[in-house]
Amino acid sequence: MTIRKMLLASAAIACAAMPVSAFADTSAKKIALSNNYAGNSWRQAMLTSWEKVTGEAVKAGVVAAADPFTTAENQATEQAAQIQNMILQGYDAIVLNAASPTALNGAVKEACDAGITVVSFDGIVTEPCAWRIAVNFKEMGRSEVEYLAKKLPQGGNLLEIRGLAGVFVDDEISAGIHEGVKQFPQFKIVGSVHGDWAQDVAQKAVAGILPSLPDIVGVVTQGGDGYGAAQAIAATDRKMPTIIMGNREDELKWWKEQKDSTGYETMSVSIAPGVSTLAFWVAQQILDGKQVKKDLVVPFLRIDQDNLETNLANTQAGGVANVEYTQADAIKVIESAK
Amino acid sequence: MTPLFRLVSKPWIWSWLAAFVVWFLTIMVTLGASTLGLSQAALTFAAFSVIVGIGQMFVITLGPGNIDLSVPATMTLAGTVALKLMNVENGLILSGLLIALVIGLVVGLCNYALIKALRIPPIIATLSTSFIVQSAAIWTNRGLRIKPPSVLAEFTTSNTLGVPNVAIVALLISLLAWFLLEKTIYGRWISAIGQSMPAARMAGIPVDGTRFVTYLFCAVLASVAGYLLACFSGGAALNMGSEYLLMSIAVVVIGGTAVAGGDSNVPGIWGASLFMFLVVSMLNTYGVGAGIRLIMTGLIIISVIMLAGRRAGMR
Repeated sequence: MTIRKMLLASAAIACAAMPVSAFADTSAKKIALSNNYAGNSWRQAMLTSWEKVTGEAVKAGVVAAADPFTTAENQATEQAAQIQNMILQGYDAIVLNAASPTALNGAVKEACDAGITVVSFDGIVTEPCAWRIAVNFKEMGRSEVEYLAKKLPQGGNLLEIRGLAGVFVDDEISAGIHEGVKQFPQFKIVGSVHGDWAQDVAQKAVAGILPSLPDIVGVVTQGGDGYGAAQAIAATDRKMPTIIMGNREDELKWWKEQKDSTGYETMSVSIAPGVSTLAFWVAQQILDGKQVKKDLVVPFLRIDQDNLETNLANTQAGGVANVEYTQADAIKVIESAK
Repeated sequence: MTPLFRLVSKPWIWSWLAAFVVWFLTIMVTLGASTLGLSQAALTFAAFSVIVGIGQMFVITLGPGNIDLSVPATMTLAGTVALKLMNVENGLILSGLLIALVIGLVVGLCNYALIKALRIPPIIATLSTSFIVQSAAIWTNRGLRIKPPSVLAEFTTSNTLGVPNVAIVALLISLLAWFLLEKTIYGRWISAIGQSMPAARMAGIPVDGTRFVTYLFCAVLASVAGYLLACFSGGAALNMGSEYLLMSIAVVVIGGTAVAGGDSNVPGIWGASLFMFLVVSMLNTYGVGAGIRLIMTGLIIISVIMLAGRRAGMR
């Protein structure tokens, strides 16, 4: 009960400190973040963004509390129990990055029935009572091939690096890439490996398939795997193909090094981990009484040759290129969905 | 007994045979053009599985219930802390290795302290240590990726006479392990403990000391593998050890080491590690989808283990 008391106390202080506020409607509301995994740099950046943006929001009295919770084992059952605890603790809204799109539906429904607003993002849930902030992953995959078609109009062979097998996001991006190849038939995917969005896994998988591949002109990726692919290809005597990058700092740094030494050109598409802050603001807007459509789309983060330096400068060493969203951004996203 | 029969009855021959078949099928796709590239890649990536696999093999040899689940977390912590300490300075390479070794020793110590002092079964004890170690890695690292010192990066990614340097390191460690296992009293002790702990105790073998050293050895090898892997792949990542949990156990089992303990062999670890890398490469090369690939990997592993397991009946 002490946590609850502390939260009440902080809510009281927030109310006292902010007697006249434009956000009076939500200043007593408490929002929780239910997160299923913290073991990679993207998730670490996601949590850091959350702490930074919501910390300021709590200080400004926009909401009473915005507490992040992460499960230890990336298990849907564990996260369902976590959501049930949040219901008991009396949160007004739960912002959710789910371990599974369907396995948490029961717990999410319980939360909705208890009058709690549930906003899922990145790992979204299919339960109709929850809001979903999703990225158009298909378009993300398609745009990679479109970029290559512009850069290499004569086409050629491509190597595809996929994400974690069996995950919805992997299927979507890959479907987009294959759609792109249909649209630009001068390209042919000659090999496909799973890199699990991790640099070392991608390196291993690419090193294994590379000796058996013909010449490749491009590598289409899902982010987090570009640097590993580059490492594996650099270890052979092949010419470096155009590798589409993700948003990890090592990928951008490698790109910058190549750009400076050989004029290497590519681009990067990814999902900014700061999408957690967009979800926070959307939850706040819903609590504020705004009418919000259940399915919202967040734009993906694209870095090109000319804005590489600016993005790299904004990315902390070992971190992830990121965008943090403001309340105004959230209102814009909500308006555009109408 | 003919020499051929003696060879077939070796428990490790099946993993080597499987690795060879898969290797052959893969290079035939390009009619042999990929031979050198594939072999070098296989040796490089097998090296990491070999190093963690040997440690796990020593622990599994101790008998039923003995296993070390803290391998991936130890790799991650050793890799992240060592690279952070070295901070791209070539002069600090040895200090980096030293801190990695110390981390291995501390993790091994914690593991055995939990097992012995608190009487927790190894599977639970090492799993809980692994949570603590992984959290420590997240806490010290926060997703930070620091590049390895240039000399070390160069060493881990290049070849000597066509053989990857990491494979040479793994070979030296294997020789040491083979020597320990086959030629020293310590090797006899762990086999004896694995076959029957009460009998070993009555025979006057220092059971606790031997088990303690074995858990230390396993954790230290995991930290060495983490150190090398972080340098090889251009920086430590928080999830870099995750695939080595199942890998370390799989290479032990496929390599023909008895899961019930008491009987182990070093060559099998190499055959199994090469096989585990090559089978994924082969299925990728043939363009098999992920679902079928995982099913096939499982089926192939089961068949290799069944073939290797038959030898028990032949004796």
